[in-house]
Amino acid sequence: MFNRNLAKISSYRYPIIAAILLILAGGLVLLPKYEKQKGLNPKELLNKAISPERYMSTDKLADIIINQDPSYILVDVRDEESYSKYTLPNAVNIPLNKLLSEDYIAYLNQDQFDVVLFSNDNFYADQAWILCNRLKYKNLHVLKGGINEWYKTIINPSVPEEDMTAQDFELYNTRKAASMYFGVVYPEQVKTEAKPVPKTSAPKQIIPVKKKKKMPVEGGC
Amino acid sequence: MGPLIPNGIIPIEWDSIIAILIGIAFGFVLESSGFSSSRKLAGVFYGYDFAVLKVFFTAAVVALIGIYYLDYLGFLDVKQLYVHPTYLWGAIIGGVIMGVGFVAGGFCPGTSLCAVAIGKIDGIIYVLGIMIGVFIFSELYNPLFEKLYTGSFLGNITLVDSLGVSPYWFIFIFTIIAIVAFVVADFVRKKVKKVFY
Repeated sequence: MFNRNLAKISSYRYPIIAAILLILAGGLVLLPKYEKQKGLNPKELLNKAISPERYMSTDKLADIIINQDPSYILVDVRDEESYSKYTLPNAVNIPLNKLLSEDYIAYLNQDQFDVVLFSNDNFYADQAWILCNRLKYKNLHVLKGGINEWYKTIINPSVPEEDMTAQDFELYNTRKAASMYFGVVYPEQVKTEAKPVPKTSAPKQIIPVKKKKKMPVEGGC
Repeated sequence: MGPLIPNGIIPIEWDSIIAILIGIAFGFVLESSGFSSSRKLAGVFYGYDFAVLKVFFTAAVVALIGIYYLDYLGFLDVKQLYVHPTYLWGAIIGGVIMGVGFVAGGFCPGTSLCAVAIGKIDGIIYVLGIMIGVFIFSELYNPLFEKLYTGSFLGNITLVDSLGVSPYWFIFIFTIIAIVAFVVADFVRKKVKKVFY
């Protein structure tokens, strides 16, 4: 009985195998297609997040700006209003809510320049950093502390106490010099206006020229 | 995850060993399918035995469906697989020469080595012929064959690229073609007078 059934089935083995192949191939066509996740996987993102290259100090940035390093793009991710009030020299404004728009993609998705993102602190810049990393953009940095830190360290550096190390003084001097570059004027830098010196014209010396007195004609021929 | 060796799951040092194991398995399957007999291979052209067509077509369809299921499930990235580069005219002319050799000799290069392994004299002669052909090609490579060999380069393209269809639809249609080919082959084999070999 069993053998007969098996023989019956096995006589149809080729159509059955063909049907299985067709079903499998048709399954590939009918399966719901989904976009494979193209972004970074969490491990890579973590590696980038803890990389020392992620943050850029304000001192380094000042150095870059002063030396006019052409390989950096500064990106201000604050809104346009804040951007128009104050921003870093030569910064490009890409507000965070327009980060993904087509207009700005050329600034961010490239391999030639280093991009430095900044906002008031590094909160919004960090969010922009993560988004750009998910899009696999390269060479991204965040300005540590943002514009607030920039103001605290570069524009208005705190004067070191007297008992601080020489390094602190050196740092202060560098920052002070940098701030001068960015247009801060220090009291000692202001020249004391010299008092107008009244023009004293030297009295003319009169040198009397003695004229030879004509001798009275003495005698005559 | 896959391919296993490029993604470092299997160290690259293993690739020769894996190649040898796959080669042994391939040779075993060829021999056990009876492909070391030139009469069985030539049967495709005379219509009395379609084992070659069936085995290779089935292997291609099964591998194709399997690879794309693995890709769909995320075990294998199809885009990372090696695609043999296409040199159009070299492939056409080489294919014609290979086809003539196949009909005339009754072997393809792989099965001829199988035949040599089981001591078939026609297989040995066939391999010697291959060696002579290789020798002629190498000696005349610079003056004659270089342009043909490296010309009309189309890149590492597949049928899916050049036809511009979805790979899934292509597989489905290809499977239908395969099954139709099997049915037609069976039909032809029943019509043709049986040959005993």
